[in-house]
Amino acid sequence: MMMLLLPHREEEEEGGAAGRRRFPINDNADLLAEVLGRLDGRSLAVAGCVCRLWSAVGRREAVWEAVCHRHVAVGRAGAAGGTRSVVAALGGYRRLYRLCIGPALDRLAGVRRQGPAVSSSSSAARHVSLSLALSLFSIDCYERLGGVGGRQQQPPASLLFLCKPVDVS
Amino acid sequence: MKREHEDAGRMGGDDPMAMGPEIAKGKMVPVMRTGDEMECGVDELLAALGYKVRASDMADVAQKLAQLEVAMSSDDASHLPQLAADTVHYDPSDLYAWLDSMLSELNAPPCAQLLPPTATASRGNGHSSTAAKPSAAAPPRASALHDFKPVVSAASVGRVVCDTEQQSEKILSPRDPKRMRTCSSSSSSSSAKEVASSLKSATEALPVVVVDTQETGVRLVHALLASAEAVQQENLKAADALLKQISMLAASQSGPMRKVAGYFAEALARRIYRHSPLPQADRVALDLLHSHFYESAPYLKFAHFTANQAILEAFTSFRQVHVIDFGLKQGMQWPALLQALALRPGGPPSFRLTGIGPPQPDNSDALQEVGWKLSMLAESIGIDFHFRGFVASSLADLEPQMLLEPEGKRRDRDGVEEAVAVNSVMELHQLLARPGAMEKVLGTVRALRPRIVTVVEEEANHNGRTFLERFTEALHYYSSMFDSLENGGDSGADGELEEQQRHRAMADAYLGRQICNVVASEGTDRTERHETLGRWRGRMAQAGFEPVHLGSNAFKQASMLLALYAGGDGFRVEEAEGCLTLGWHTRPLIATSAWRVGPAADFAL
Repeated sequence: MMMLLLPHREEEEEGGAAGRRRFPINDNADLLAEVLGRLDGRSLAVAGCVCRLWSAVGRREAVWEAVCHRHVAVGRAGAAGGTRSVVAALGGYRRLYRLCIGPALDRLAGVRRQGPAVSSSSSAARHVSLSLALSLFSIDCYERLGGVGGRQQQPPASLLFLCKPVDVS
Repeated sequence: MKREHEDAGRMGGDDPMAMGPEIAKGKMVPVMRTGDEMECGVDELLAALGYKVRASDMADVAQKLAQLEVAMSSDDASHLPQLAADTVHYDPSDLYAWLDSMLSELNAPPCAQLLPPTATASRGNGHSSTAAKPSAAAPPRASALHDFKPVVSAASVGRVVCDTEQQSEKILSPRDPKRMRTCSSSSSSSSAKEVASSLKSATEALPVVVVDTQETGVRLVHALLASAEAVQQENLKAADALLKQISMLAASQSGPMRKVAGYFAEALARRIYRHSPLPQADRVALDLLHSHFYESAPYLKFAHFTANQAILEAFTSFRQVHVIDFGLKQGMQWPALLQALALRPGGPPSFRLTGIGPPQPDNSDALQEVGWKLSMLAESIGIDFHFRGFVASSLADLEPQMLLEPEGKRRDRDGVEEAVAVNSVMELHQLLARPGAMEKVLGTVRALRPRIVTVVEEEANHNGRTFLERFTEALHYYSSMFDSLENGGDSGADGELEEQQRHRAMADAYLGRQICNVVASEGTDRTERHETLGRWRGRMAQAGFEPVHLGSNAFKQASMLLALYAGGDGFRVEEAEGCLTLGWHTRPLIATSAWRVGPAADFAL
């Protein structure tokens, strides 16, 4: 948990307590964005519930882009700009995290929790790569495209395998 | 894993002391033989195998055999040469006394925990679940031996069963040892065979099968095989009688085994009563089933991802690319490729897709819809996309000029021809139903001069010459398949999303149709003519193609994809001479391979 100063204005103290100047984080949204971009997905979503400013900043694509890149295996250094436009076209980094990367990370963490008895042959593969996540994302995006003439669409289900079942007994 | 079956053969029939390290745990099954003498007080069914065991001693026999195994497997091999060299002969049919002597020799340590039973020949009966209950299952196992009921069956049926057991054992044994490895307990089925064959006289080739608590599962399998053999021998009455037995036994099973038995029984019934083959369900329904299968199991995703990786690598540095998809269906393979092309270093190429599909009954243009959706996606990610749909009831109707017209191969501004890729996911095997179709299609493919041809096929031999061969292979294959569907998702303990269950039901129906086709159809109707990777390799090589190794990128991506499936370790991605296979536990079920036109240019078109 980060220690942040309370987000309300305080009078600047001059020469006061140890001479430190307080810096309300809410004054600088870009700085806030930088900070939030270092969180993991769940914490970032929680942070978006703090106040309207944090919610707005927490929805910025740049923030979620940083989060995504932090959590996926770095593949070949592709053209970052190109990636951005493609991801934006497919639905954005926030959606990418919510639909693909987040569940994938949860799934892998769950598998790791089950113990080291898990096969070692694919131990190197127990991380998510950006290309894989984008592939799954693109399939999901494709499924959501409407058909011609608005025919009844099947709900997109290609990512169901990543979902955790909820026990509703 | 060493082949216990072959070891049994090598050991011969006369040396009762030459036991391998894995010894039977007293798991004998009732072989349904009639006409064997019944000795009073002796268990009738074991007597059929040549063992004289008093019914009262059964529990002790089981326990002692278990102890024996523990003793022998826990100690190192030091005991074994001693045993092998031991020339004292005990009457092997007096199992009780013999075991006693063995145990007193070895001075087996008191073993408190009996080893868990294994789900052996009951294929696909959730063997992953049986491995989890050691001691709880031990007492029931002993009592199960007491529960032998003589099987009420006609003598002819009994004989039929025996014969098929012989054949089935030969086929089962290579598989069973592999299956045993995944269970936590040691193998017993093959070792039981070993014990039995080494103790039996050479003339009687009585096969031995293993029993466990799920003896009905074993009986069910045998009944299915017996029925199939009866069908092959045109003994329809016996086959019919067996079918009734099968449905009764199937009702006692649960999970994947029950479904498999149900579908196979239905298919056999269709064959016996010469029902018309399954009506050609309209394409919409078939597509629906296919897309549910796509969602409920990783096989199709694996196929698409590995094929896409091969195509992507073949397309590097080309500015104009053309993909010909032999079975477009819903086009689920292509969004991922489009995305990958959009992100490739150097920018995306100009992409043309030719999709081939079967004629639709209601004249709706499904291909155009798919093309439209794909073009929407491509436009949003900035790819210059062209689509062409082709309706063809069979791939053999295609001509190379049709696929490349109107302007032949496109050329980019440097005059370089476009790169063509041909993609076939589970489409080629259907051509084997008509003679000559395969050669024509492969010739057409070669005439297109593609940079790469990706072929994904089921890894099974469902095109054997005899019906029984096909039936047995199909039984194995679909048992694994259904087992993977059942256990490959989240472990059923947590319950599944209702939607996932619906998908699975549809996926089951999809596979059920395949089963029906393999079993009940013949001639040109039988389109599910799966063949193994080896045969496809030979066929492609003969047609003038040479293999392209799928790189490590494809392997890594496939492994990562499979790691995301909750069933996790059940699925195995393996690489075999440049081809990738995905399997369930040790059984490969689907194989991807890539090809390009070979240098030899003297093949007649």
